[in-house]
Amino acid sequence: MNVTPKEKTVNLMFILPALILFLVFNFYPLLRTFQLSFYQWNGIDKDMVFVGFAQYKDILFNNPAFWKSMLNAGYVTILALTLQNGLALLLALLVNRQIKGENIYRVIFFLPPVLSGIVVGLIWKFVYDGNFGILNHWLISLGFTDFKDFAWLSEIKTALSSVAVVHMWKGFGYGFIILLAGLQTIPNELYEAAEVDGADKWQQFKHITVPCMIPVFTIVTILTILGSMQIFDLIYSMTRGGPAGYTHVPITKIYEYMSNGEFGYSTAMAIIFGMVLLIVSFGQLYVSKKFNR
Amino acid sequence: MRKSLLLKVLLLAFVVAVFGCSQKQEQQIDDKNVVKVWHWMTDRQAAFDKLAEQYYKETGVKVVFETYAPTDVYKNKVTAAASGQLLPEIFNPLSDKRELSSYIKAGFIEDLTDEMNAGWKDVFFTKSLEQNKFEEGNEWGVKPGYYGVPLDVSSLMIYYNKDLFVQAGLDPNNPPKTWKEFIEAGKKLRAANIQPFVSGFGESWLIGAFASSYQWSLFGKQGILDTIDGKIAYNDPRWVRIFSLLNEMKENKMFAAGMVTMVNKDAERTFATGRAGMSFNGSWGVNVYKSMNPNLNYGVMAPPVLEDAKYPLLIFGGDGSAMFVNAMSPKKDKAIAFLKWLSQRPQQSFLAKETLNIPSNKESAQDLPEVLKVFSESIANTFENLPKLEAWQVTNYININLQSVMIGEKTPKIAADEVQAEKIRQEKAKK
Repeated sequence: MNVTPKEKTVNLMFILPALILFLVFNFYPLLRTFQLSFYQWNGIDKDMVFVGFAQYKDILFNNPAFWKSMLNAGYVTILALTLQNGLALLLALLVNRQIKGENIYRVIFFLPPVLSGIVVGLIWKFVYDGNFGILNHWLISLGFTDFKDFAWLSEIKTALSSVAVVHMWKGFGYGFIILLAGLQTIPNELYEAAEVDGADKWQQFKHITVPCMIPVFTIVTILTILGSMQIFDLIYSMTRGGPAGYTHVPITKIYEYMSNGEFGYSTAMAIIFGMVLLIVSFGQLYVSKKFNR
Repeated sequence: MRKSLLLKVLLLAFVVAVFGCSQKQEQQIDDKNVVKVWHWMTDRQAAFDKLAEQYYKETGVKVVFETYAPTDVYKNKVTAAASGQLLPEIFNPLSDKRELSSYIKAGFIEDLTDEMNAGWKDVFFTKSLEQNKFEEGNEWGVKPGYYGVPLDVSSLMIYYNKDLFVQAGLDPNNPPKTWKEFIEAGKKLRAANIQPFVSGFGESWLIGAFASSYQWSLFGKQGILDTIDGKIAYNDPRWVRIFSLLNEMKENKMFAAGMVTMVNKDAERTFATGRAGMSFNGSWGVNVYKSMNPNLNYGVMAPPVLEDAKYPLLIFGGDGSAMFVNAMSPKKDKAIAFLKWLSQRPQQSFLAKETLNIPSNKESAQDLPEVLKVFSESIANTFENLPKLEAWQVTNYININLQSVMIGEKTPKIAADEVQAEKIRQEKAKK
């Protein structure tokens, strides 16, 4: 098909607004972020001091707190990948059996993800509260009296896991919806044929559901990794990185540095963090492609 | 023909979308009789609006107060506005002196020295002015002078619940004065099944403010400056002692449940609802407790002194909220005129009455209720102005390690050693 220059111009005009918005609000900030990461700047001074890779070097080799925060995010991510997605898959499989009130379950399970993270964090903070939290109230009424005044978010052993539980509660609905949509695209004929061949439910799941769902698992896994590694609002509203820095994650560290006027340093942190996420995501894609074959 | 029409419509929509907002902005900026103020204390909005209304009647100048909370969001908004040169006529960057100096050197903040020396400064508490004053030879290279206008003053003391004190067998009219008495009071409160002490130590500045009083008490001004210069190490026995104070409180079960991650609003709620005997909090607490529990029966005491300390115990405080004039604004004269009006006795007394904060105007402070007078008198004992500051990373590390000691994760000695290691790391990074 021949496209005339005039038609080309018209076509270009259609994408121009989106292109300008993308360049202004995505590409330019990204470029500036890269540029800023080579400077020492507090966001106010007129002059920015060029420091080259010094900030990168400091983050990579001399900032254990940042890497500790990365491990914390990794811990939350591993819990989300296993427990959260396991629960999401289980519920999706149950709802996919065309049970009564399927749509009601969909709505209920999808409610937590659409709630504001800060609001969810504040509500759960009350649940975990050592003084008048409902969790301790239940535990004590069940006979676990040791939990009197137990502050879940202030104990090193429980703080991060407590936040991770809320993160999983808030996040499993996304996985549930995507997995359910994936399950519904698998042709019923495959299961019928397998049944005729004498395959039991477990064999059907193993040889039909899982292979057909690999592309969906890949998407859910990547979204879970990106969402969990970038956790911020729950940490901010529940612990602010405490106790004693034990629940800091990369985004809260970046926020901390930026709030203290370290714009260059925090953007260098953000770029390193972005690189880590890219590597993990590409790794996951590579693995899933291998499985697909 | 139809294509061309569609194209024109699309282009028109794009132009309107892109330039529509900026025209509105321009229109607002052109309004020569509007002075915009950004503040972070949303609870004062009503009082500010009333004052603005009065000022408009008197002068014809419209003052618009815009309040934003929480403070870190407000602070980020100011930073972003400064980068885009969109600051209002009056604002506060909520910064320490180091950052404030950047605002001044970048030309965002007006030098008010001439105005202050022409008699304006005489109306204020000296301590409240000092916090935004730059001395000759300051390490940031800022031209010496006055830059901020204090709107009110504040200090941090210890509130105690008189009813709970009686319940624990303590004298409500004779609160603890020394550290030993303080710990004893804590023990008695705990024995009476009352949480002895609460504060928002999850907010690092608050735990830092508590510990800083003892830093002043054990080191004095020169000692603090020597520590910043690296002449005194952070694992000096006096620093270990400061960490040990928190450890002693922990050993005696003085902390309320979850205090290490508690924000101050939650700590205020805990104290206001009678769930803790004592609370380290600022003078603004008077207003907060009134709104949370008007019947709360409490008194106020200074942080307990260390009997063997070489220097007086000073407390965190000074200016509560200072205002700065945008030096780039064409309406800066109107902004200064408004601030002069706002710092006069009638307006300051009105603000004090409405918001239960201590006015920065010395004369207005005379009309305060008794409990606020205690705070007002304590202003003279607040930290002195320092010509240099510790790196924020080190300060942050101190606060984190104070939290570690609170929860028993580190011993005072280990915590002090780790702060010193961070100090060395920062020194190296600086070089």
